[in-house]
Amino acid sequence: MLNHFQTLLLFAFIASLAFAFLSKRKLGERARYAIWAFLAFVIVAIGIGWLMYPFTR
Amino acid sequence: MSEEIKQQVSMAETGRGFMAAAAGWIVPGLGHAILKRWGSAAVAFISVSVLAILGMAMRGNVFPSSSVDPFDRLGFFADLGTGAYYFLSKTFEASGPDVSRAAGVYGTMLIATAGVLNMLFMLEAFDIGRKTKQ
Repeated sequence: MLNHFQTLLLFAFIASLAFAFLSKRKLGERARYAIWAFLAFVIVAIGIGWLMYPFTR
Repeated sequence: MSEEIKQQVSMAETGRGFMAAAAGWIVPGLGHAILKRWGSAAVAFISVSVLAILGMAMRGNVFPSSSVDPFDRLGFFADLGTGAYYFLSKTFEASGPDVSRAAGVYGTMLIATAGVLNMLFMLEAFDIGRKTKQ
C-alpha cells in the first residue's frame, strides 16, 4: 500500500488533472493549469505539514 | 424559428443534459462519453475510479444513508456522488472501514473527494448537454 507522501502525490496529480479538464478547453492550457495546480497542492500540503510540526508533541 | 419550436429544442437539450448527468453519476465519465467528449470522459472515469477504489482499499469510511450526525450526512452526500462505487463499496471494502489508523482517515477523504469530483463532472456534462457550455 502507498505511504502518506505517495498518497498525497497521487491525490494532487488526480485532482489537478480533473480540475484542468473541468476548467480549461485547450490542451496547452490544460497542461499548464494541471502542472500549476499539482505544484500548488504539494507545496501547500508540505508547508502546512511543517507549520503543524511544532504541535506534534 | 418560432417560439414553440425554440421551447421544444430547449426542452430536448435540457433532457439531454439531465440524461448525461444521470449517466455520469451512475458510471463516472459515461455522461461525457454520451456527448462524445472522449478526453473528459476518460479523465472523469480514471480520476473518480482511482480515488474511490484507493480510498476503499485504504479502508476509508463510506457513510451510510442512516447517518444522523450532520458531518456524517455531508459525508454520505459526498460519497453518494461516486455513483456505482457507492453501491459496490461492500464489494471493494469487504473487511469494512478502519479509521483507527491514519490510512483509513485518508481513505475516507479520498472517497469523499471522488464523489465531489464526480458531481463536478456531472454538472459539466449537464451544461454541455444543454449547450450552455462548449
